[in-house]
Amino acid sequence: MCDTFHVTATRSTERTRLGQSLVLLLPALLFGLLVSVQWRTQSERNELTVRYNTPLLDAAKTLQNEQSALKLQLADLRAELDRIQSSASTQSGAAKDLQARIDQLKVVAGLNERTGDGVVITLDDARGSSAAKDIEKSICHNTDLTDIVNQAWRGGAEAIAVNEERIVGSSSIYCVGSTIMVNGTLMSPPFSVLVIGPQNELLSAYDDPTQLRDIKQRRDVYGLGFRVSRAGGLRVPPYRGALNVRYATPR
Amino acid sequence: MRSNAGVIAVTVIALFLGVAAVTQIKAQDVYSRSLELETPASLTTLIANLSERNNAVKDEMLDLRRRTETARDAIASGTGSLTEAERQLSQLRVFAGMSAVSGAGITVRVDGSFDERALSDLVNELRNAGAEAISVNNARVGPRSWFGATADRALTVDAVAVRGPWQVRAVGSPEVMYVAMTRTGGIIGQFELIYKGTRFDVSKDSALDLPALSTPLR
Repeated sequence: MCDTFHVTATRSTERTRLGQSLVLLLPALLFGLLVSVQWRTQSERNELTVRYNTPLLDAAKTLQNEQSALKLQLADLRAELDRIQSSASTQSGAAKDLQARIDQLKVVAGLNERTGDGVVITLDDARGSSAAKDIEKSICHNTDLTDIVNQAWRGGAEAIAVNEERIVGSSSIYCVGSTIMVNGTLMSPPFSVLVIGPQNELLSAYDDPTQLRDIKQRRDVYGLGFRVSRAGGLRVPPYRGALNVRYATPR
Repeated sequence: MRSNAGVIAVTVIALFLGVAAVTQIKAQDVYSRSLELETPASLTTLIANLSERNNAVKDEMLDLRRRTETARDAIASGTGSLTEAERQLSQLRVFAGMSAVSGAGITVRVDGSFDERALSDLVNELRNAGAEAISVNNARVGPRSWFGATADRALTVDAVAVRGPWQVRAVGSPEVMYVAMTRTGGIIGQFELIYKGTRFDVSKDSALDLPALSTPLR
């Protein structure tokens, strides 16, 4: 854009007059922007949305911040109980054995950080002109993420995180409006799915032409962002939410 | 006059470029995603979901504080903290799908054509509604379970075939899960539109028995 202006200027023989014209350039440009932005804003938001959204937005943001703080406190409490447990487990053989089983279960349940090799899948809304053809098909949905996660487990994944949220037995990838929520954390595209596991098996699970057909077709036709790549030294964070076992009792 | 013509020309070009710049921004981000653009209805659902989750974390914090105290007392009195360790082990075994469980919950019966992606969506929806343990027919769904299909129209859970009619059972709050499944515009309503001719029944149960994972996680 700047280059275009520059060419126009050097071609002119009357530099002073052009200088005067250029003074008008910035206001005119701003005016153009303003007109367009105004038009956009009006077309996208109705009055009802404007009236009720501010308090609702504040409430949602407050709750999300509160949750982040609560999860940190929960992690501290877990760590404290662990400390007491492990100091006590030096007391007897039975306690040591129990502690070893707890530690092993924590690993499989997703309560510890995992590092290792695997694959990274990126998913993003389509950008550019081909996307305008069909918005529904050119943006990513929560079901795309559940399909991607399902395929990772099929390929032998050991640990998965979606935008830094660990996928565990209680995790859901939930969608409200255009916002996606994983383990209670609000997120939006682009998504980065980190998968630790056997690289070749994982890659062939994603390459399988009978799988994820819908995502692959939308990538090819509408420009949906979907890419799978081999990655080393991945770090998948621990699950930080509640364990929530209240109704189920072991038999 | 030439100078005026120049000014007008530049103004027109600038105006055009201004509009073009915004159009360009709009084209790059065809679909704007931000909380600010959500409808009041979506925001209300989000808020309800967030506050439910915050309460779950708070409940667990209370529980952990109590357990920490008990464990401290037990160690101080010389009885050790075996009870707390056993409790933790039992909770983790349920969470990881390693133990068979009983409890209240709901059953979703699916009779007719159905597919693995819909089953995966149903499980996702149940988890979001707070399901603590889920099974499909006799297969427990674990933290790493995946869904597939066979050539003869059976579905699979971790490569084990499960045949219709399917019974998807979930232990958790029967009321919360029931409402989450059956609400207007909810997942069952959507299924009924997509899988015409398939029967979907949701019922609350006061006592369900779910099996453990058949192959324990490594």
